[in-house]
Amino acid sequence: MLSVIRGGRVVDPTASRDAVGDVWIEDGRIVEPAGRAPDRVIDASGCVVMAGGVEVHSHIAGGNVITSRLLLPDLYVSEASPEGHPFAHAGGAAGWIGSTYARMGYTTAVEPAMPPTHALATQLELADIPLLDRGALTVMGNDDQLLQLLRERQGGNAVRDLVALSVATSRGLGVKCINAGGASAFKDGALRLSLDDEIPVYGLSTRQIMGSLLDAVEEIGVPHPLHVHCNNLGLPGADDSFIETLEAAEGRRIHFAHAQFYAYGATEGGGFRSAAERIAQAIADNPNATLDIGQVVFGQTVTVSLDILRQFAGRKGAKPKKWVLNAGDAEGGGVVPFLYRPRGPTSSLQWAIGLEIMLLSTDPERTILTTDHPNGGPFTQYPRIIHWLMDKAERDREIATLPGIVAERSSLPTLEREYSLSEIAQLTRSGPAKLLGLADRGHLRPGACADVAVYRDTSDRTAMFTAAKLVLKDGVPIVEDGEVVEWRAGRTLSLSVESDPAMAKRADAYLTDRFGEGLDSFAVPDAAFDADTDTFEAVPCRA
Amino acid sequence: MAAWVKGGATDAGTAIEAAVSLLAKARAPVIAGLSADVAAIRAAYDLAGRIGASIDTAGAVGTYAELGSLSRVGAMTSTPAEAVGRADAVLVVGAATWHTPLIKRLAESKPTRGRAAGSDRALLALGAGPEGSQAALSCPATGGLAEAVAELRAYAKGHLAGDTPQAKLVARIAAAQYGVLLYDPAELGELGVEMLQGFAMELNETTRCFTLSVAGPDQDRAVVPVAAWLTGQGPRSGFGRRVPEHDPWRFDVARQVAAGEVDAVVWLAALPVDRPNWLAAVPSVALVAEAEASLADVVIAVGRPGRDLGGVLWNEQRAALTYWPASAPTDLPSAASVLGALTERLVEAGAVSRSEPAC
Repeated sequence: MLSVIRGGRVVDPTASRDAVGDVWIEDGRIVEPAGRAPDRVIDASGCVVMAGGVEVHSHIAGGNVITSRLLLPDLYVSEASPEGHPFAHAGGAAGWIGSTYARMGYTTAVEPAMPPTHALATQLELADIPLLDRGALTVMGNDDQLLQLLRERQGGNAVRDLVALSVATSRGLGVKCINAGGASAFKDGALRLSLDDEIPVYGLSTRQIMGSLLDAVEEIGVPHPLHVHCNNLGLPGADDSFIETLEAAEGRRIHFAHAQFYAYGATEGGGFRSAAERIAQAIADNPNATLDIGQVVFGQTVTVSLDILRQFAGRKGAKPKKWVLNAGDAEGGGVVPFLYRPRGPTSSLQWAIGLEIMLLSTDPERTILTTDHPNGGPFTQYPRIIHWLMDKAERDREIATLPGIVAERSSLPTLEREYSLSEIAQLTRSGPAKLLGLADRGHLRPGACADVAVYRDTSDRTAMFTAAKLVLKDGVPIVEDGEVVEWRAGRTLSLSVESDPAMAKRADAYLTDRFGEGLDSFAVPDAAFDADTDTFEAVPCRA
Repeated sequence: MAAWVKGGATDAGTAIEAAVSLLAKARAPVIAGLSADVAAIRAAYDLAGRIGASIDTAGAVGTYAELGSLSRVGAMTSTPAEAVGRADAVLVVGAATWHTPLIKRLAESKPTRGRAAGSDRALLALGAGPEGSQAALSCPATGGLAEAVAELRAYAKGHLAGDTPQAKLVARIAAAQYGVLLYDPAELGELGVEMLQGFAMELNETTRCFTLSVAGPDQDRAVVPVAAWLTGQGPRSGFGRRVPEHDPWRFDVARQVAAGEVDAVVWLAALPVDRPNWLAAVPSVALVAEAEASLADVVIAVGRPGRDLGGVLWNEQRAALTYWPASAPTDLPSAASVLGALTERLVEAGAVSRSEPAC
């Protein structure tokens, strides 16, 4: 079927397009203007037309997310379900995640932390998120098998083969390392770890582990650069860890997760001030690097992380006072409830720093909007954040309610910049799609997936981006006037990567010795998923 | 397909129609057991969500001891492979866990990873009775297991002191470089689990020590995550008002049956678990691998995952969900497919969402 979205303001920064025009769609793809009458005309006059949003870092599945629901059963509110999906309005559930993202015009979302030991559970959970295409990053950097290889100096090829095998077995889309070595160090009694500190037992450092993973990702040709959660998250002086980690990448591609939590320059007396300018400048100077924000928003949330060293340290700030720490296989996980106190000095400064990094960015395409859901706050706050970025007056109104620390320790009140719609599209569409290596997403050029969001163009950007007028997924309307109209399953994007049979054999022996079961028990077979849908879609490696 | 209606053998279609008829009339149905693979658990939730049923599980006693404590104080946990690989001291709480394969692995090996690698491993016993004869140190729990854990915690905090077996046990676990507190939540109970978690958290002020609980013979450890991702909440929940409502007391099926609140039950046991004695007291549909004509009003034999057909199950040794291929394939239907057929027929019949939405 040939469709045209007619008369909307089409915003596609990848084609330098920001003007009223048409978008043509056929067979689930964007096509050139067809030169023949369309079968369907979608009137988008008065609307903004963008590619579907792409999420790179949101904790939407996995053991920690499950635990957070059980630890805080009352964090979300459930409402009566609509027709077509019994649990779509069950707060925090997979159906709610899919439908809430879709209503905001997002069509792809990536869970950034999938431990290979629990890949099947994570993938099953992801597959139950409706409407969106999904993916997950395979976490490495704390597992004994990898650390042994490095300790024994078995060489880059062995590490590459183990990384390839882990991604292939878990069916990940990319690779992430989380405070590399930190979880292992915690289990052996450490309470803090910096880039060059020695990791007990293994005699390694984060620099060595991360460096080996950076190389492996390049050699395998993973489209998404190594996704790095640095040491010392959230501590005053974490900006030093960020910069040292960037320097340690030595020009190799690297993505920094939730950079806001590192933009904390130490002050005398143990506090912190914004280091947003330093972080933004470093990213501007290093085209090999990207970051996502981890914007803080006010209110109750729960922090979930495989950085158990950090989560253990954070346990005493838990609010309410309960927390879970699982010193599990490899990374384990930690879940600590947290309240970003409305108008509190610390949370206000954190809020300001996230916005500052985005407003100081010289390249929004390398500056991705996230809240590190739910760590900085829920992803449902994106529309509000976009509003603050696009509207200086709206920002000033919020700042006026906050304590003076925002002006004293950040430059946010002095920043005049207002994001354009094109820049918002870079922040939420083209940037994340390029970062993930998904060439057919994040833009509206011919050949792209027909994942399209149509918003009413109104100065209330919060309302505009909360409930899209229309969302197409693969050319099919899934949301109309902010409500889901078609419950369909997306696909899970999974990297096509060859694994080395010799490494598979070694890993099988290792796993059997450690777990009593071999590689098969870590597999994510098609047979585990609904037989009547294609759950997975292959994403090729870089040539 | 083997199926029976009121004890008489019949074909699949007739059995499904009988089940649909039984459920379509029900105003307060329950789906219970859920001893099944992930696909069947998902299908059970889908059915419950669409017809407004509530859900209870076969292992709810242990599951609730865990979930209740978790939602009040949190937890500090490890895994079987980490315990085997790292623990230099394991405190076995109660008698039940001494029979598990994990105890054998722990007893027959030494830590190989982490800072305790190469050292000996001590098995310590609290309230084991005669089961814990291989323990290096043991301590009775004559006043009850939860109370015995509370006593240990008091010694660790310095609230109790003296040259007692408790003091020796606490000194040994506190001196461990990687201690593990092993327990069966069904035996220890909710308050005991909460006390044990507090004990572990406090020990971590000075060393590393984690709890590890063993699963029952049911599939509750598969139900809990699936329930959480599908509904945002753990099991024992009801969907009669179109909103998932989590309530461990209200949706306890045994209580509901005793109180006369239930008018139909679907008993799902694709893997064998003890049959509850209340099953005969209500109109019932049983989807079971080990089928007997007299089990319920409608009985449909389903394949056992991991034997007759493949399926994702809780893997206790791995402490994870893993896929089990069919070891001896048969053409028995999967529980998921039967539940799917029931849902489809009930939706067609309009027997869905009969209650008004909650406001």
